[in-house]
Amino acid sequence: MLKEDLIKKNPLRLLSPADQGKTGSPQMGLVMARAGLGKTAILVQIALDTMLRGNKVLHVSIGQSLEKTKIWYDDIFRDIAKAENLERAADIQDELMSQRMIMTFNEESFSVAKLRERLKDLIDQHIFKPDCLLVDGFDCSASPEKALQEIRELVQGMDINVWFSAVCHRGDDRVSQAGVPAPCHEADGLFDTIILLKPDAEKNCVFLNIIKHGGKFSEGKTNLTLDPSTLLILDK
Amino acid sequence: MQKDLTKVRNIGISAHIDSGKTTLTERILYYTDRIHAIHEVRGKDGVGAKMDSMELEKERGITIQSAATYCSWQDHSINIIDTPGHVDFTIEVERALRVLDGAVLILCSVGGVQSQSITVNRQMTRYKVPRVVFINKCDRTGANPARVTKQVRDKLGLNAVMLQLPIGLEGDLEGVVDLVKMKAIYFDGDSGEKVREAEIPANMVEEANAKREEMLDAVSMFSDELMEAVLEGEPTEKMIKEAVRKGTLALDLAPVFMGSAYKNKGVQCLLDAINLYMPSPMDIKNIALDLKNGEQEIVLTSKPEDPLVCLAFKLEDGRYGQLTYIRNYQGYLKKGDTLINSRTGKKVKVGRLVRMHADEMEEIEESAAGDIVALFGIDCASGDTFTSSDVSLSMSSMHVPNPVISLAVIPVDNKAQVNMSKALNRFTKEDPTFRTYVDHETNETIISGMGELHLDVYIERMKREYGAEVKVGAPQVAYRETITQRAEFNYAHKKQTGGSGQFGRVAGYIEPLAEGEYEFVDNIVGGSIPREFISSCDKGFQKSLEKGALAEFPVSGVRCVINDGASHAVDSSDIAFQLAAIGAFKEGYKKANPVLMEPIMKVAVEGPTEFQGSIMGSINQRRGIIIGTLEEGDYTVVEAEVPLSEMFGYSTVLRSLTQGKAEFTMEFSDYKQVPKNVAENLIEELRKKKKEQGK
Repeated sequence: MLKEDLIKKNPLRLLSPADQGKTGSPQMGLVMARAGLGKTAILVQIALDTMLRGNKVLHVSIGQSLEKTKIWYDDIFRDIAKAENLERAADIQDELMSQRMIMTFNEESFSVAKLRERLKDLIDQHIFKPDCLLVDGFDCSASPEKALQEIRELVQGMDINVWFSAVCHRGDDRVSQAGVPAPCHEADGLFDTIILLKPDAEKNCVFLNIIKHGGKFSEGKTNLTLDPSTLLILDK
Repeated sequence: MQKDLTKVRNIGISAHIDSGKTTLTERILYYTDRIHAIHEVRGKDGVGAKMDSMELEKERGITIQSAATYCSWQDHSINIIDTPGHVDFTIEVERALRVLDGAVLILCSVGGVQSQSITVNRQMTRYKVPRVVFINKCDRTGANPARVTKQVRDKLGLNAVMLQLPIGLEGDLEGVVDLVKMKAIYFDGDSGEKVREAEIPANMVEEANAKREEMLDAVSMFSDELMEAVLEGEPTEKMIKEAVRKGTLALDLAPVFMGSAYKNKGVQCLLDAINLYMPSPMDIKNIALDLKNGEQEIVLTSKPEDPLVCLAFKLEDGRYGQLTYIRNYQGYLKKGDTLINSRTGKKVKVGRLVRMHADEMEEIEESAAGDIVALFGIDCASGDTFTSSDVSLSMSSMHVPNPVISLAVIPVDNKAQVNMSKALNRFTKEDPTFRTYVDHETNETIISGMGELHLDVYIERMKREYGAEVKVGAPQVAYRETITQRAEFNYAHKKQTGGSGQFGRVAGYIEPLAEGEYEFVDNIVGGSIPREFISSCDKGFQKSLEKGALAEFPVSGVRCVINDGASHAVDSSDIAFQLAAIGAFKEGYKKANPVLMEPIMKVAVEGPTEFQGSIMGSINQRRGIIIGTLEEGDYTVVEAEVPLSEMFGYSTVLRSLTQGKAEFTMEFSDYKQVPKNVAENLIEELRKKKKEQGK
């Protein structure tokens, strides 16, 4: 398979229009799940898709090491290349990696102000101008609305799409009207797209429930699932 | 003499530069009665530390060669290999790791896990070396062993578990709390030689109890017996120690100790830990390749009665002639034995056998499996395997990277010329990453290696140890050429100038080779090129690879396939087909879209967060790709891939950008294509240079 076909075939197409990042106002997305279901895997696949289409991605990883984040990308790209029988995979990977930058923070040292400062540095010095920002490991547990609002304002001005991941905890039953679980139940208005991962023990897979898409709340039904062994998104 | 192998330890000490390895080794030698006074690395007494026996090391305060030394602690024999801390010398680290059974990873309690520790840790994982961690310099301002332990978990991915707590920190460091024994340990006397156990200070009892709980939780994973004992109440000291040992040997646990070597605190506890938790030669599975049996893997036994197998891992040219450090893996080695070098097949006789203690030595009669000893007067290269005559085994080959940087050395006079060739001969035997050759066009001697500092050190050593004064040219990057597409060739070589002529025609194609440097494929059917000239074609192609047509750099990554040709009954010869193949390669090469490749280095810059912007800017200016940044409070690491050619003089730039507060390390990562505009300039420059030389 060629790179072009890979872009077209990507199941994420259901989720975002092909010109994402090029037109319209920047979008803010959220991936929610309990720990260990594959949030990072989904973010990385969103990133790879964005990069395949020639855009640059800044991956902000909070609490995870640089090495581990890199391995996520290497593993997922390798699995996709293998599953799709991608031609010239090594060259394409090299090319993609030059469109990606990873920023890791430990939990204590991350703040929106710091992110703003770093982004400004990168763009002003012409080091790296991202089209898409991923924030993995952001602590949503203590009413994150204010920080999320700040980030939304930050990226609006810079024309950057942004994706977050958030952990929901067993035992916390709070849920918003539209079905967005805690801790983001009060912030669901800030996002244009919200995906909730739901494991299905019977079918041995994880469903991607799209609760909100294009700014509208939806039924949440989709055909997208995660392959439990590779964590690749499949369209069934 | 039958030694109890379970009481032998072969240990490496490995860490980031300046985290105090040499100081720690010095203390170990002192407490084990190998030396009788302590000399500091940059001491005022001018003696220098024992392990830094090379003059240059004493001067620069860094350790370059891994000296092996022997000591004994509580009825255990410990062989210590002191390994260099700078990344340019990683071949030394890797070679040392190969012969070690376990390692102490030293970390600075302030600096924590730095980039070199990450590299070393990766190497240790590759060679499956069990580790204990020693957090040194707990007396320094800003010391924080708990933070460093967390870093070991996060950055090195080791299951680090503290077995001690510091009593006081920074200037108030008094001793440590042993969480296994639940005792406070103090180090009395002028040099901390008197170890005193006491009750845990009252203000620390609560913390110690909590930490012990944590430790037991982690350690009981490795022993059901301990798990039960923990649930039921009181686990014994023995149970805990056994479980820690089990976890450590399985590489599933890294026990953490702490102290300050400089202030003589905690070193004896580390020695106890080496005896308790590090593997003996019996615990390690060593594998050799059977050369008689298609290189099949064979597990060595460590038994003294089995045939001898040992590995030469280091050569040194000392006062008394060539010294070869060997690790004995199996069997018994005695003075007067005859050994076979399995690489060359040559027989060698063991003359003198010694045990090394930095630069002093002790004559011994024999050595058993598991020992590290040195032989005199044996001609071999590092990495050679020696066996007794009844087996033909080779220890698996070590991973040796290709050199990435080279420079010309010009001796100032005749005497220097002679000494230089002696020195180079020695260095290339000692260090497989150091190479040398004569450039036939300029007649200059070229040396190549893994980095600027690597070559610097050898030039220094040439001057000091061999008295060879040399002038040094500007460093050159080892560029390469390769092709990017398949191209056909069909070339006939004809020469008719009286006497016997030359004739040969070679046809086929060249194409990019994904892995490996060169491949020759013979697809001739029907004998259009006679059998005897096939190898001539191969030779011709190989000659063509030495200098590419693009910019005269070596060509790699090419598959040459021949599928047709012609010959003449009288005029065809070996040389005719070689020349035909050279012509054919030239013809195909031009069409195969050749490109320049350059070495790319993995660079890690560490420094205060306030300079992150300028550090990234400086990398960006050097055609670097920033892979990522890592921010922890006011400390930042920027990881990037940068072409080697852009890294010359970077240390000076970095120093002035960051007021000397940032440092960087780099190691070779890969060869990548040079961007087109850069390649054009480079080729143009080379042409100009050629012209000047021609004048």
